[in-house]
Amino acid sequence: MSYIEYVVAAYAVFAAVLAWDFVAPRIRTAQLLRAVRMLASRRAAATTVTADESAELTR
Amino acid sequence: MNPVLLWFHQLGSPPTFDRFARRWAPWGFGLGLLTMAVGLYGALFVVPADYQQGDSFRILYIHVPSAWMSLAVFAAMALYAAIALVWRIKLCEILAMACAPIGAAFTVITLATGSIWGRPMWGTWWDWDPRLTTELILLFLYLGVIGLYHAIEDRRTAARAAGLLAIVGVVLLPVIRYSVVWWDSLHQGQTIRVFGESSIDGSMLWPLLWMVVGTKFWFVGSLLARARADNLRREAGKDWVRALAAPTGEHA
Repeated sequence: MSYIEYVVAAYAVFAAVLAWDFVAPRIRTAQLLRAVRMLASRRAAATTVTADESAELTR
Repeated sequence: MNPVLLWFHQLGSPPTFDRFARRWAPWGFGLGLLTMAVGLYGALFVVPADYQQGDSFRILYIHVPSAWMSLAVFAAMALYAAIALVWRIKLCEILAMACAPIGAAFTVITLATGSIWGRPMWGTWWDWDPRLTTELILLFLYLGVIGLYHAIEDRRTAARAAGLLAIVGVVLLPVIRYSVVWWDSLHQGQTIRVFGESSIDGSMLWPLLWMVVGTKFWFVGSLLARARADNLRREAGKDWVRALAAPTGEHA
Protein backbone atom coordinates (compact mmCIF):
# COMPACT_ATOMS: atom_id res chain seq x y z
CA MET A 1 0.00 0.00 0.00
CA SER A 2 2.89 2.39 -0.63
CA TYR A 3 1.65 3.93 -3.91
CA ILE A 4 5.14 5.37 -4.23
CA GLU A 5 4.90 5.79 -8.02
CA TYR A 6 1.87 8.06 -7.58
CA VAL A 7 3.66 10.13 -4.94
CA VAL A 8 6.72 10.50 -7.20
CA ALA A 9 4.55 11.48 -10.18
CA ALA A 10 2.65 14.11 -8.18
CA TYR A 11 5.82 15.66 -6.74
CA ALA A 12 7.41 15.64 -10.21
CA VAL A 13 4.45 17.62 -11.59
CA PHE A 14 4.74 20.08 -8.70
CA ALA A 15 8.50 20.55 -9.26
CA ALA A 16 8.14 20.87 -13.05
CA VAL A 17 5.39 23.49 -12.90
CA LEU A 18 7.21 25.57 -10.26
CA ALA A 19 10.44 25.30 -12.29
CA TRP A 20 8.57 26.67 -15.34
CA ASP A 21 7.09 29.43 -13.16
CA PHE A 22 10.60 30.38 -12.01
CA VAL A 23 12.26 30.27 -15.43
CA ALA A 24 9.56 31.78 -17.71
CA PRO A 25 9.71 35.43 -16.47
CA ARG A 26 13.53 35.32 -16.43
CA ILE A 27 13.66 34.21 -20.05
CA ARG A 28 11.17 36.92 -21.06
CA THR A 29 13.11 39.63 -19.24
CA ALA A 30 16.41 38.51 -20.74
CA GLN A 31 14.91 38.37 -24.26
CA LEU A 32 13.40 41.81 -23.86
CA LEU A 33 16.59 43.43 -22.60
CA ARG A 34 18.53 41.77 -25.43
CA ALA A 35 16.05 43.13 -27.99
CA VAL A 36 16.32 46.65 -26.53
CA ARG A 37 20.13 46.40 -26.57
CA MET A 38 20.19 45.23 -30.21
CA LEU A 39 17.81 47.99 -31.28
CA ALA A 40 19.98 50.58 -29.53
CA SER A 41 23.13 49.27 -31.23
CA ARG A 42 21.42 49.26 -34.67
CA ARG A 43 20.28 52.85 -34.13
CA ALA A 44 23.78 53.87 -33.02
CA ALA A 45 25.26 52.25 -36.15
CA ALA A 46 22.71 54.02 -38.40
CA THR A 47 23.52 57.37 -36.75
CA THR A 48 27.25 56.80 -37.36
CA VAL A 49 26.65 55.97 -41.05
CA THR A 50 24.46 59.07 -41.51
CA ALA A 51 27.10 61.27 -39.84
CA ASP A 52 29.81 59.81 -42.14
CA GLU A 53 27.68 60.45 -45.24
CA SER A 54 27.03 64.09 -44.28
CA ALA A 55 30.73 64.61 -43.64
CA GLU A 56 31.45 63.20 -47.11
CA LEU A 57 28.92 65.56 -48.74
CA THR A 58 30.34 68.68 -47.07
CA ARG A 59 33.88 67.94 -48.24
CA MET B 1 2.70 63.47 2.85
CA ASN B 2 2.62 60.30 4.95
CA PRO B 3 5.89 58.40 4.21
CA VAL B 4 4.07 55.10 3.54
CA LEU B 5 1.64 56.81 1.16
CA LEU B 6 4.56 58.56 -0.52
CA TRP B 7 6.35 55.22 -0.93
CA PHE B 8 3.22 53.72 -2.56
CA HIS B 9 3.03 56.64 -4.98
CA GLN B 10 6.71 56.30 -5.84
CA LEU B 11 6.30 52.54 -6.36
CA GLY B 12 3.81 53.33 -9.11
CA SER B 13 6.67 54.79 -11.16
CA PRO B 14 7.93 52.08 -13.59
CA PRO B 15 11.69 52.52 -12.89
CA THR B 16 11.08 52.48 -9.13
CA PHE B 17 8.93 49.36 -9.42
CA ASP B 18 11.62 47.72 -11.56
CA ARG B 19 14.25 48.34 -8.87
CA PHE B 20 11.82 47.10 -6.18
CA ALA B 21 10.91 43.92 -8.08
CA ARG B 22 14.55 43.22 -9.00
CA ARG B 23 15.51 43.46 -5.36
CA TRP B 24 12.66 41.54 -3.69
CA ALA B 25 11.71 38.83 -6.23
CA PRO B 26 14.76 36.66 -5.34
CA TRP B 27 13.83 36.97 -1.65
CA GLY B 28 10.30 35.73 -2.37
CA PHE B 29 11.62 32.76 -4.33
CA GLY B 30 14.39 32.07 -1.79
CA LEU B 31 12.11 32.17 1.26
CA GLY B 32 9.52 30.15 -0.64
CA LEU B 33 12.05 27.45 -1.51
CA LEU B 34 13.42 27.34 2.03
CA THR B 35 9.99 27.11 3.67
CA MET B 36 8.74 24.55 1.17
CA ALA B 37 11.94 22.49 1.64
CA VAL B 38 11.14 22.21 5.38
CA GLY B 39 7.52 21.33 4.59
CA LEU B 40 8.47 18.76 1.95
CA TYR B 41 11.03 17.16 4.26
CA GLY B 42 8.35 16.77 6.90
CA ALA B 43 5.79 15.54 4.38
CA LEU B 44 8.06 12.94 2.79
CA PHE B 45 10.34 11.77 5.60
CA VAL B 46 8.94 12.68 9.03
CA VAL B 47 5.18 12.25 8.96
CA PRO B 48 4.07 8.58 9.20
CA ALA B 49 2.05 6.96 6.43
CA ASP B 50 -1.73 7.17 6.78
CA TYR B 51 -3.33 4.00 8.14
CA GLN B 52 -5.88 3.91 5.29
CA GLN B 53 -4.27 5.74 2.38
CA GLY B 54 -0.69 4.63 2.92
CA ASP B 55 1.91 6.95 1.39
CA SER B 56 -0.49 8.36 -1.18
CA PHE B 57 -1.77 10.87 1.39
CA ARG B 58 1.65 12.63 1.08
CA ILE B 59 0.35 14.02 -2.22
CA LEU B 60 -2.04 16.18 -0.21
CA TYR B 61 0.91 18.24 1.10
CA ILE B 62 1.29 19.73 -2.37
CA HIS B 63 -2.33 19.39 -3.51
CA VAL B 64 -3.99 21.33 -0.67
CA PRO B 65 -1.63 24.39 -0.60
CA SER B 66 -1.83 24.60 -4.41
CA ALA B 67 -5.64 24.45 -4.30
CA TRP B 68 -5.73 27.25 -1.74
CA MET B 69 -3.31 29.27 -3.86
CA SER B 70 -5.43 28.75 -6.99
CA LEU B 71 -8.31 30.49 -5.18
CA ALA B 72 -6.23 33.13 -3.35
CA VAL B 73 -4.37 34.19 -6.50
CA PHE B 74 -7.65 34.62 -8.37
CA ALA B 75 -8.98 36.80 -5.54
CA ALA B 76 -5.77 38.87 -5.62
CA MET B 77 -6.00 39.20 -9.40
CA ALA B 78 -9.60 40.44 -9.17
CA LEU B 79 -8.65 42.89 -6.42
CA TYR B 80 -5.79 44.37 -8.47
CA ALA B 81 -8.04 44.48 -11.53
CA ALA B 82 -10.76 46.33 -9.58
CA ILE B 83 -8.24 48.88 -8.28
CA ALA B 84 -6.86 49.30 -11.81
CA LEU B 85 -10.34 49.82 -13.26
CA VAL B 86 -11.46 52.31 -10.61
CA TRP B 87 -8.27 54.35 -10.10
CA ARG B 88 -6.55 53.64 -13.45
CA ILE B 89 -3.31 52.62 -11.76
CA LYS B 90 -1.06 51.08 -14.40
CA LEU B 91 0.97 49.07 -11.91
CA CYS B 92 -2.20 47.36 -10.66
CA GLU B 93 -3.05 46.37 -14.25
CA ILE B 94 0.41 44.82 -14.54
CA LEU B 95 0.10 43.03 -11.19
CA ALA B 96 -3.37 41.71 -12.03
CA MET B 97 -2.18 40.28 -15.32
CA ALA B 98 0.96 38.84 -13.70
CA CYS B 99 -1.29 36.91 -11.28
CA ALA B 100 -3.01 34.97 -14.08
CA PRO B 101 -0.21 32.57 -15.16
CA ILE B 102 0.80 31.94 -11.54
CA GLY B 103 -2.78 31.11 -10.59
CA ALA B 104 -3.10 28.93 -13.66
CA ALA B 105 0.10 27.10 -12.67
CA PHE B 106 -1.23 26.37 -9.18
CA THR B 107 -4.57 25.24 -10.65
CA VAL B 108 -2.78 22.84 -13.01
CA ILE B 109 -0.84 21.43 -10.02
CA THR B 110 -4.10 21.08 -8.07
CA LEU B 111 -5.89 19.25 -10.88
CA ALA B 112 -2.93 17.04 -11.80
CA THR B 113 -1.99 16.02 -8.25
CA GLY B 114 -5.65 15.51 -7.35
CA SER B 115 -6.04 13.26 -10.36
CA ILE B 116 -2.89 11.31 -9.48
CA TRP B 117 -4.12 10.88 -5.89
CA GLY B 118 -7.61 9.92 -7.11
CA ARG B 119 -6.39 7.01 -9.24
CA PRO B 120 -5.37 4.73 -6.33
CA MET B 121 -7.89 6.14 -3.83
CA TRP B 122 -11.04 6.53 -5.93
CA GLY B 123 -10.08 4.13 -8.70
CA THR B 124 -10.34 6.80 -11.39
CA TRP B 125 -8.23 9.64 -12.77
CA TRP B 126 -11.20 11.97 -13.15
CA ASP B 127 -14.81 12.34 -12.09
CA TRP B 128 -17.30 15.08 -12.97
CA ASP B 129 -17.65 15.84 -9.31
CA PRO B 130 -18.69 19.43 -8.32
CA ARG B 131 -15.33 20.29 -6.71
CA LEU B 132 -13.26 18.93 -9.60
CA THR B 133 -15.50 20.47 -12.25
CA THR B 134 -15.52 23.94 -10.66
CA GLU B 135 -11.74 23.82 -10.25
CA LEU B 136 -11.47 22.95 -13.96
CA ILE B 137 -13.70 25.94 -14.78
CA LEU B 138 -11.31 28.06 -12.69
CA LEU B 139 -8.44 26.92 -14.91
CA PHE B 140 -10.46 27.89 -18.01
CA LEU B 141 -11.12 31.30 -16.46
CA TYR B 142 -7.40 31.81 -15.85
CA LEU B 143 -6.70 30.78 -19.45
CA GLY B 144 -9.44 33.15 -20.60
CA VAL B 145 -7.86 36.07 -18.76
CA ILE B 146 -4.42 35.23 -20.21
CA GLY B 147 -5.86 34.80 -23.72
CA LEU B 148 -7.86 38.00 -23.63
CA TYR B 149 -4.88 39.98 -22.37
CA HIS B 150 -2.75 38.76 -25.27
CA ALA B 151 -5.49 39.04 -27.90
CA ILE B 152 -5.78 42.84 -27.76
CA GLU B 153 -2.86 44.86 -29.04
CA ASP B 154 -3.18 47.93 -26.81
CA ARG B 155 -1.82 46.83 -23.42
CA ARG B 156 -4.04 49.07 -21.30
CA THR B 157 -7.26 48.17 -23.12
CA ALA B 158 -6.25 44.50 -22.96
CA ALA B 159 -5.60 44.70 -19.21
CA ARG B 160 -8.94 46.41 -18.60
CA ALA B 161 -10.88 43.81 -20.62
CA ALA B 162 -9.10 40.88 -18.99
CA GLY B 163 -9.45 42.54 -15.58
CA LEU B 164 -13.20 42.75 -16.06
CA LEU B 165 -13.30 39.02 -16.76
CA ALA B 166 -11.29 38.42 -13.58
CA ILE B 167 -13.73 40.49 -11.52
CA VAL B 168 -16.75 38.66 -12.92
CA GLY B 169 -14.98 35.32 -12.37
CA VAL B 170 -14.74 35.94 -8.62
CA VAL B 171 -18.32 34.60 -8.39
CA LEU B 172 -16.85 31.14 -8.94
CA LEU B 173 -14.66 31.22 -5.80
CA PRO B 174 -17.42 30.64 -3.18
CA VAL B 175 -18.93 28.00 -5.49
CA ILE B 176 -15.62 26.09 -5.45
CA ARG B 177 -15.22 26.59 -1.71
CA TYR B 178 -18.72 25.36 -0.79
CA SER B 179 -19.19 22.83 -3.62
CA VAL B 180 -18.52 19.96 -1.19
CA VAL B 181 -21.21 21.32 1.15
CA TRP B 182 -23.89 22.27 -1.39
CA TRP B 183 -23.75 19.09 -3.48
CA ASP B 184 -23.09 15.41 -2.90
CA SER B 185 -19.44 15.15 -3.69
CA LEU B 186 -16.87 12.42 -4.07
CA HIS B 187 -14.30 14.96 -2.88
CA GLN B 188 -13.83 14.99 0.87
CA GLY B 189 -15.20 17.84 2.95
CA GLN B 190 -13.30 20.39 5.01
CA THR B 191 -10.44 18.80 6.97
CA ILE B 192 -8.51 21.83 8.16
CA ARG B 193 -10.29 24.60 10.03
CA VAL B 194 -8.80 27.96 10.96
CA PHE B 195 -11.51 28.36 13.60
CA GLY B 196 -12.38 25.14 15.41
CA GLU B 197 -10.80 21.73 15.53
CA SER B 198 -9.24 20.24 12.39
CA SER B 199 -9.95 16.60 11.64
CA ILE B 200 -6.29 16.03 10.69
CA ASP B 201 -3.97 14.97 13.52
CA GLY B 202 -1.59 17.69 14.74
CA SER B 203 1.47 15.52 13.98
CA MET B 204 0.42 15.47 10.31
CA LEU B 205 -0.54 19.13 10.11
CA TRP B 206 2.73 21.02 10.57
CA PRO B 207 4.33 20.22 7.14
CA LEU B 208 1.12 21.41 5.52
CA LEU B 209 1.38 24.76 7.31
CA TRP B 210 4.99 25.15 6.14
CA MET B 211 3.86 24.41 2.59
CA VAL B 212 1.03 26.94 2.85
CA VAL B 213 3.47 29.66 3.96
CA GLY B 214 6.05 28.56 1.35
CA THR B 215 3.63 28.81 -1.55
CA LYS B 216 2.70 32.35 -0.41
CA PHE B 217 6.35 33.43 -0.47
CA TRP B 218 6.77 31.76 -3.86
CA PHE B 219 3.77 33.68 -5.16
CA VAL B 220 5.31 36.99 -4.05
CA GLY B 221 8.58 36.17 -5.85
CA SER B 222 6.83 35.02 -9.00
CA LEU B 223 4.42 37.96 -9.02
CA LEU B 224 7.30 40.45 -8.81
CA ALA B 225 9.34 38.66 -11.49
CA ARG B 226 6.40 38.46 -13.91
CA ALA B 227 5.24 42.00 -13.23
CA ARG B 228 8.78 43.22 -13.81
CA ALA B 229 8.92 41.50 -17.20
CA ASP B 230 5.59 43.04 -18.26
CA ASN B 231 6.62 46.46 -16.91
CA LEU B 232 9.83 46.31 -18.98
CA ARG B 233 7.90 45.29 -22.10
CA ARG B 234 5.53 48.25 -21.74
CA GLU B 235 8.42 50.64 -21.11
CA ALA B 236 10.78 49.19 -23.75
CA GLY B 237 11.14 52.49 -25.61
CA LYS B 238 12.08 54.54 -22.54
CA ASP B 239 15.57 55.76 -21.69
CA TRP B 240 15.71 54.00 -18.32
CA VAL B 241 15.10 50.61 -20.00
CA ARG B 242 17.82 51.37 -22.62
CA ALA B 243 20.18 52.23 -19.77
CA LEU B 244 19.25 49.00 -18.01
CA ALA B 245 19.73 46.98 -21.21
CA ALA B 246 23.14 48.51 -21.90
CA PRO B 247 25.93 45.90 -21.50
CA THR B 248 26.93 47.31 -18.10
CA GLY B 249 23.37 47.70 -16.78
CA GLU B 250 21.73 44.33 -17.37
CA HIS B 251 20.10 42.68 -14.35
CA ALA B 252 17.96 40.01 -15.94
